[in-house]
Amino acid sequence: MKDQIAKYTSKLVSDRSAMPERIAIAAQDDVLLTAGADDLAALAGAILSKLNSLALVVARPSLPFAEFLIGRASADESCILPQDTETRTFLHDIPFLRREELAADPSAQIARLLGSRKGVIVEGVGIVAVGAITVEQAYINYSSVFHSTFVKYLQDLLAEGFRLPGEQESFDSFRNEWLRPLSAEGLEFREELSGHRDDILNEIERVGRYTVERGLVDSFFGNISVQAGGVIYISQTAASLDELAGCIDPVPTGNTSTTGITASSELLAHRKIFEETGATVILHGHPKFAVIMSMLCETSGCTITDCWKDCPHVRTLGGTPVVAGEIGAGGLAKRVPPVIGRTGSAIVYGHGVFTIGEGFRDAFAAMVDVENFCRSEFFRRLDFPAPIS
Amino acid sequence: MYGWTGKILRVDLTTGQCHREQIPVDLLHAYLGGRGLGVRLMRDRFRLDPMDPEMPLIFAVGPLCGTSSPTAARMACVSRSPLTGTIYDCSAGGRFAWRMKGCGLDAIFITGKSKEPVYLSVYGDLASLCPAGELWGKGIKETVLLLQGKGSVAAVGPAGENGVLFANIMMGEGNSIGRGGLGAVMGGKGLKAITVNGTAPVAISAPERFNEARNDVMRLFRASPVIFGELGIAEYGTPALVDLMAQRRMAPTNNFQSTYFADSGNYSGPAIRKEFHAKKDGCYGCPIQCKKSTPDHEPLPEYETVNHFGALNGISDLHSIVRANSLCNELGMDTISAAATLSAFGEERGRFPAVEEVPGLLYDIAFRRAEGLLLSLGSRKFAEQRHRPELSMTVKSLELPAYDPRGAYGMALAYATSNRGGCHLRAYPISHEILRKPVPTDRFSFSGKARIIKIAEDVNAAVDSLVACKFAFFGATLEEYGELLSAVTGVEYGPEVLKTIGERIYLTERFYNCENGFSLADDQLPGRFFTEPGTSGDGIDVPPIDRERFEEELQKYYRIRGLNEDGTFADPSFLERQP
Repeated sequence: MKDQIAKYTSKLVSDRSAMPERIAIAAQDDVLLTAGADDLAALAGAILSKLNSLALVVARPSLPFAEFLIGRASADESCILPQDTETRTFLHDIPFLRREELAADPSAQIARLLGSRKGVIVEGVGIVAVGAITVEQAYINYSSVFHSTFVKYLQDLLAEGFRLPGEQESFDSFRNEWLRPLSAEGLEFREELSGHRDDILNEIERVGRYTVERGLVDSFFGNISVQAGGVIYISQTAASLDELAGCIDPVPTGNTSTTGITASSELLAHRKIFEETGATVILHGHPKFAVIMSMLCETSGCTITDCWKDCPHVRTLGGTPVVAGEIGAGGLAKRVPPVIGRTGSAIVYGHGVFTIGEGFRDAFAAMVDVENFCRSEFFRRLDFPAPIS
Repeated sequence: MYGWTGKILRVDLTTGQCHREQIPVDLLHAYLGGRGLGVRLMRDRFRLDPMDPEMPLIFAVGPLCGTSSPTAARMACVSRSPLTGTIYDCSAGGRFAWRMKGCGLDAIFITGKSKEPVYLSVYGDLASLCPAGELWGKGIKETVLLLQGKGSVAAVGPAGENGVLFANIMMGEGNSIGRGGLGAVMGGKGLKAITVNGTAPVAISAPERFNEARNDVMRLFRASPVIFGELGIAEYGTPALVDLMAQRRMAPTNNFQSTYFADSGNYSGPAIRKEFHAKKDGCYGCPIQCKKSTPDHEPLPEYETVNHFGALNGISDLHSIVRANSLCNELGMDTISAAATLSAFGEERGRFPAVEEVPGLLYDIAFRRAEGLLLSLGSRKFAEQRHRPELSMTVKSLELPAYDPRGAYGMALAYATSNRGGCHLRAYPISHEILRKPVPTDRFSFSGKARIIKIAEDVNAAVDSLVACKFAFFGATLEEYGELLSAVTGVEYGPEVLKTIGERIYLTERFYNCENGFSLADDQLPGRFFTEPGTSGDGIDVPPIDRERFEEELQKYYRIRGLNEDGTFADPSFLERQP
């Protein structure tokens, strides 16, 4: 278990979601283990010992967005409601504790909230996330809260602008220093996939790693596939995009075997996309700016309330179609395949981006392009808000 | 009161009396319903012999039953198993639970023994015992047919009447209360069947909150490849696991002598669908509909059954496997134990049963004649009497299901610690070790498994008390089900509270078992798994389990549970401290 703690501490640093010196992880088997910053490790241990769970992450996010969301919340609010589909589906809401609410030892308060939710935000401390059965699960939940608060904060900024002292300065620092340019430059791809199983698996593993290393997606958010010789090779459900070795299912296109029951929940969407477009590869991830911008709808007088699943319209972002649809067996698999062939990419409302290609060079570049467009469009709108009519 | 009815029907078969009583609200809040309530109601009688007339046979539904909570039209049947000697519960679906709740009941508590065969009829508020002489000796289908119009039926077949130690109680819709032989307990009481026929609605405390929670659950079902994926159980039923277990090299074969059966594709999910034009079927109101049946509504076998009447006995013919399943259902016998006992018999005599032998052997078991007389006692007693105890692939005398523990070490530990014996469903580590839900774990490692199994046992004890289907938790979690429960009952239940309730139930069961003599010596796997490898291949190595590491993890489990080194309780007053 110590190796797991070390691994996910390292991941929190490498994915730049937490401040390196403000990370602690606790895990319990027959004994309680803690590691990381002393004060946070003590807190993590105290919280976990009050829970019937295996692991807990306490870390200060590398960006102050979660705390800004608390600062911007009205006095009667006690949780953040994620707007993006992925975290909405799995987290429901994210409770928070304000600094002034905290007891001298806040472990009991935090444990009480974690008794009902996977992650909480504690002002002055950071994000606290629990893993019921693995350290990895605590890391995933931390990542989800980080992702969700990133998306929500930037959405709120577009709608309401800066409201707190120091907010703009922090945001400028994020914009100018934290954000890095996205590109596919310097990456190697196979120009043609040979059709050999091992070659395909190696290429999927490599491209999965690229998506994380280039900061395009977080490690758990996405899936990837290749179609060759009557088989869809697709990453497994709950697989980390940067660790796909041994986590790719070969699924016969004719459904003659059910070994692919462990495949990504988006298997149906991938299959339909292959059928509809004749593409060879599909890449799917949740790049943050695409998620944010996909939820920005300027249609007036619309009566649809659950836009993320019910909107029947196809909007565009920089020419890329945007459609609604729930994940898995929801509507996404119906709405993406008809629109993705035209441009090679499609955005799902509040969820993420699908791109296709003959090889991964095209698909990867297309995802970078979509995210770069959404990023620049976000900042254009932030810098030049539309006048209120 | 919301969610619960607060009522229990007490039936004394010796005196023929039936009357309703109030259940203390505190007990309902503390044990929920289903398994938890049943286990609590056993407190004064858990030391009785399973076949003692005063041993209760308890049917208990949960607070979600009768609402549109997904997968909650279920109940638990609780007693002490004549096969294992442990406290025993089994979760069952169909329509019975919903109809029983519709009669305004949270539980039916049956004791005593009738001189003549009877059936219990519950019609709304009315309950009575009726002569069942004409039903005695009949198979399940005919019994259900003869009781047509009286509501939903739970009945025993010849196996239950004759005391087969793995006899089931069969539901009219084809579901079963299986594994531990509660059919023999029911048959031993002279109770052929129970019919329930009620339609009273269940009041929900916060309907809007309930709808939101229900939508959350359904969204997670749709996001789960195991549930609603195109290769998942909604499409293919549990036989969707046949190909996966073969690929993972952990399909028990030839009485667990190997872990790969080359012909398993003959009875895979797609093969069954193609050969029998399988249709979706399932429990009342369940959105998953994981059961599969023929167009003539004949239930088709589950994964465990196809593997055990298939690979475990070296049989590749799908039609004979389906026939064996139908025959077990008709005779009222557990398919896993029946097939596993035949497999031990096969290894002992040096020849696994031929396809044409199987039906005759099953009849012999159900009617306890010829070879069947000994086989009806289960594989452990059979193997012991043949002086080959090592051939019984059981834990606490319960035959192991179709996940070879050499291919999943959490499963190995969970078989050992299960309070009802070698069962995959107590902790269900296949969920994370194989199906990657909620997150994957390393199936060939014991690291962390003691804590994981303990947590999962607590979670599943709560799930069995709600009562919900474990398959729901391939998508949803206690977070969403806690929300459903809170909305239904008006009492706040979060996941951590539910796990605490689950822990209470689990420890209570373990305490009962320990008081009846169970200890470390019973938390053991068959020796074969520590000395013989599985079938390696496809780049997967399946070595024997490291015994030292297994025992180390078992001791960790005891420490986490607060038990002594021999798996017993340090505190003899444990029960007195429980609500």
